[in-house]
Amino acid sequence: MTTYERRDTILHVENISVSYGNKTIIRNVNFEEKDTAVPGKVQGQVIAFLGRSGRGKSTLFRVLTGLEKPATGKVLIPDYSRQPANGQQPAKVVEEGDVGFVDQKYTLFRHKTLYQSLLFALRKSMSSTAEKHGRIMQYLSDWGLEKIKDQYPNEMSGGQRQRTAILEQLLSSGNYMVLDEPFSGLDVGNIENVKAAFELINRSHELNTIIFSTHDIELAVQLADSIYILGHKNCAGSDDAGTIVHHYDLKALGLAWHPNFTPQHLELVQNIRSSLLAS
Amino acid sequence: MTSIRKWFRPFEPATKSGNVIVFSAWLIIVVIYWIISSLGTKHLFPTPAQVCEGFISLFNEGLIVHLASSLSLCLQATFFSLLISLVIAYLSPLPALRPLSVAMSKVRYLPLTGITFYLAMIVSNARQMQVSVLVIFMSLYFITSLLAVINDIPKEEIDHARSLKCSRWEVLWEVVIKSRIDYVIDVLRQNLSITWMMLVTVESILVAAGGLGVLIKNSDKFMNHGRIVALQLVILAVGLLLDSALNITRKGLFRYSKFN
Ligand SMILES: Nc1ncnc2c1ncn2[C@@H]1O[C@H](COP(=O)(O)OP(=O)(O)OP(=O)(O)O)[C@@H](O)[C@H]1O
Ligand SMILES: [Mg+2]
Repeated sequence: MTTYERRDTILHVENISVSYGNKTIIRNVNFEEKDTAVPGKVQGQVIAFLGRSGRGKSTLFRVLTGLEKPATGKVLIPDYSRQPANGQQPAKVVEEGDVGFVDQKYTLFRHKTLYQSLLFALRKSMSSTAEKHGRIMQYLSDWGLEKIKDQYPNEMSGGQRQRTAILEQLLSSGNYMVLDEPFSGLDVGNIENVKAAFELINRSHELNTIIFSTHDIELAVQLADSIYILGHKNCAGSDDAGTIVHHYDLKALGLAWHPNFTPQHLELVQNIRSSLLAS
Repeated sequence: MTSIRKWFRPFEPATKSGNVIVFSAWLIIVVIYWIISSLGTKHLFPTPAQVCEGFISLFNEGLIVHLASSLSLCLQATFFSLLISLVIAYLSPLPALRPLSVAMSKVRYLPLTGITFYLAMIVSNARQMQVSVLVIFMSLYFITSLLAVINDIPKEEIDHARSLKCSRWEVLWEVVIKSRIDYVIDVLRQNLSITWMMLVTVESILVAAGGLGVLIKNSDKFMNHGRIVALQLVILAVGLLLDSALNITRKGLFRYSKFN
């Protein structure tokens, strides 16, 4: 079991609920994630959300990214522009642009080619044009997108669009990145690319935090160090709202950052499966 | 034989040569009908020969000059109305200015005559009058279509830009303005038929400035059927030419513009 230390809060979600009209979609969502520090290496956070279809994962993600104002509650992230007071980092309410977001539909700019999109994502970076070009070309070749760099979104396949959307956010976003079902529609090779990208993000900064949703339980158990199950508390009730029904802290369970898939991991997968079925 | 049967099956994809054959068949049917229906002494349509004569007489009367005058009127009016409409439509995402564009779009139900009455009190020059009437009416239609284009932008596209650290004004610039320029050309094209029709009408109300509308009015007076049909054909042809020019421009300038 890897020893680790819990430090500052990096994400605090307080009593979130969202309604459309008079239908409550998610209710009372509360959770808190801390910066985990593993001695001797840089370790970011990977948080997975699992839940059956329509339980409100995408809705919650829109709130986490500041794109939608919740009916109640708030999402807090540390405000690094201010000095710590009493050993604590001041917090601020998340705003649009603070958190990168790849949506479930792989939306892109329809009028920008792949290359132009990535250049746009880098527009706020201070590096020189040549540096930007080099960085983009490196990503394109790593992700197998070199050949289509001058194509528009409507000339790309679904998986290509999705990888473009992920790359855009990689280049643009700060420490936080939310991805709604980043693995759907990808082939085995692309899945490895995205996994490698997660790994890279994790290694590159202590505070980097990836939040993603998926329907692939094994993948979530392999990648995440914290898994939340979004479901209905009372599955039979018709107008039930989504909320967090389970939290699995893989760090505490000793299952996080494992190089291989152990029988304990498999057991957790079984647990999660039955918990999903019951919600 | 089987290929002919396929032409009568819904959603059957047609080959290019098949389309040419179908189109020519229709053209031949129309021409034959025209020739047959204009035989004899009493007929509704003028004979092809009469239309030909009408065409020559129009040409001698300065068809080209009138055509140029109409086209220049069309260009002027389109330019100003598009400018006004774009500004108003692009500002519609601002809640404070939204009522302006919505109201403008509703005003298109007002009758033309009422507005020309008030305009006549302000504008004295015939040409200016024509331009202002057209600008006002075209703007109302343009704003309506542009609003539809803007309202059809999926929320995801706006959110995508927001999540890439775009300020709200940047979102407006990238997602509403830049990424939909090809739609503006298509709005122009789709409204061109209305413009073209109004243009001829406006010209025939105010004959002093010339144009195709004046030619129609003159032909009406003499009940010269050949000339009327010839003129209609010219107006139709020019309209279709403008239409396809805009379509080709859109597809040529914007490779990603893949609709219709
Ligand atoms: N704009 C909307 N208006 C009304 N209801 C909505 C709206 N958007 C989503 N919903 C409802 O909210 C619920 C949650 O939707 P959401 O997209 O968050 O689910 P999800 O967990 O992401 O599902 P999936 O796994 O299928 O993507 C669904 O029941 C959906 O019908
Ligand atoms: Mg979803």
